[in-house]
Amino acid sequence: MTTRHTADPEDATGPEWAVAARGLRKRYGGVRAVDGVDLLIPRGEVVALLGPNGAGKSTLVEMLTGLVRPDEGDIEIFGADPGAAVRSGSVGVMLQEAGLLDDVTVGEVLRLIASLHRAPLPAVEAMRRAGIESLAGRRSARLSGGQRQRVRFAAALVPDPDLLVLDEPTAAMDVDGRREFWAAMRSLCEAGRTVLFATHYLEEAEAYADRVVLMNAGRVAADGPVAEVARGGLDEAFVRLTSGEATR
Amino acid sequence: MNPAYLVFEIRRALRDPKFLLFELSLPVALFLLESHLFGRDDVGPAYLMGSLAAFGAFRAAFDTGARTAVERGAGWQRQLRLTPLTRGGYLAAKGAVGMLTALPPIAGVAAAAAVLSGVRLPAGGWAAAVLGLWAGAVPFALLGLLVGQLATPQNVQAYQGGLLLVLAFAGGLFIPAASFPAALATVAKALPTYWLAEIAHGAAGGDVRTGTAVLVLGLYSLVLAAAVAVRFRRDAGRP
Repeated sequence: MTTRHTADPEDATGPEWAVAARGLRKRYGGVRAVDGVDLLIPRGEVVALLGPNGAGKSTLVEMLTGLVRPDEGDIEIFGADPGAAVRSGSVGVMLQEAGLLDDVTVGEVLRLIASLHRAPLPAVEAMRRAGIESLAGRRSARLSGGQRQRVRFAAALVPDPDLLVLDEPTAAMDVDGRREFWAAMRSLCEAGRTVLFATHYLEEAEAYADRVVLMNAGRVAADGPVAEVARGGLDEAFVRLTSGEATR
Repeated sequence: MNPAYLVFEIRRALRDPKFLLFELSLPVALFLLESHLFGRDDVGPAYLMGSLAAFGAFRAAFDTGARTAVERGAGWQRQLRLTPLTRGGYLAAKGAVGMLTALPPIAGVAAAAAVLSGVRLPAGGWAAAVLGLWAGAVPFALLGLLVGQLATPQNVQAYQGGLLLVLAFAGGLFIPAASFPAALATVAKALPTYWLAEIAHGAAGGDVRTGTAVLVLGLYSLVLAAAVAVRFRRDAGRP
């Protein structure tokens, strides 16, 4: 456990910070999707990003992975530009709304992704780590929602990244699927990987994260070690923020 | 151009023989029908071959690009953004597949003209017609990619069908532009489809300003390439 995330964001720069984001703002039309977010994640930390739909989690993740350029603020991933970090393979990303092709098999798509990266894991190894070896010959059209998530997780593992950014990785998974997914994640994290995952499941944050970042209305509402934030009423805060969507 | 991605896309294309056959068979069937109905001295089979081979090339290159709307909707482009494959690498591979898809309909109509309709050209004439049409398919592959970036999987077929019909009819691919009323004939001469067919008509011995055709198709290619690049840069790959 570390408290380095409380350092002044201005001083945080260079490759020892997995994520160093300062003053991020992004607006879509009249909506301030992200409205002034600082986020520092040192190497090796597992961070859960919690918040209701529309809190700005996905927009934040899109900016951290170089898909969307912030209107204001700047981001370093291991001291590099986010897009460059993704292309170099130091970041593995699993996004919502990223998808697979129906007319190719799981093995083909992962081998393609491996062939695009510079120093990838073999596709077979990525499938083994994600626990989907048995799906290698299956076309994507014939996968369940949870299986698709696992394939996209394998795709995120292909570059053998130091940082994993996962946007709602267990959405569409049933209880068993979620348990298996986190078992796979836990063995990956023992290797000292940095992980940032967005989730709707409070218990996932409590069980697997070192630290919780609670977002609401485009801002960070609370940020700290799980125990600390929970003492301040994480349950209550989360329920209040997510009221009306507790069924997710 | 990323060779691994190009090979992947070519394998996908070959896996869909129904699409390739459909792209080949319609222009060939239309050519045989039209040369049977209208094959006279002024609009002979050689002329119709040029028009309908141009139609086949246009349609195949265009459809291949437009179909990217479906994989964009499925989030595939977003998935690729998380790899080192550049946007240019993706577009170049898709454009190349569109160009490869355009060749069979051109060759098919030319073969039908030679074998079934008795069209005779010198070897240089055949080469100029087929290769000229093929090269001239570039702006249509780009137009397809642009439609693929702008349309959704739900509405892409409407865009696709509308553009296909308008550009083919008004460009004189089904009915010779020479028989159009004056206003429509002027419109035809602004369209890339008209000039694509003119390349083949020139190669088949017609009196054609080939230089103008090359210039017009080149300009369309530049403008469409710029539009595709701008559109793709602005897009986060979100379905």
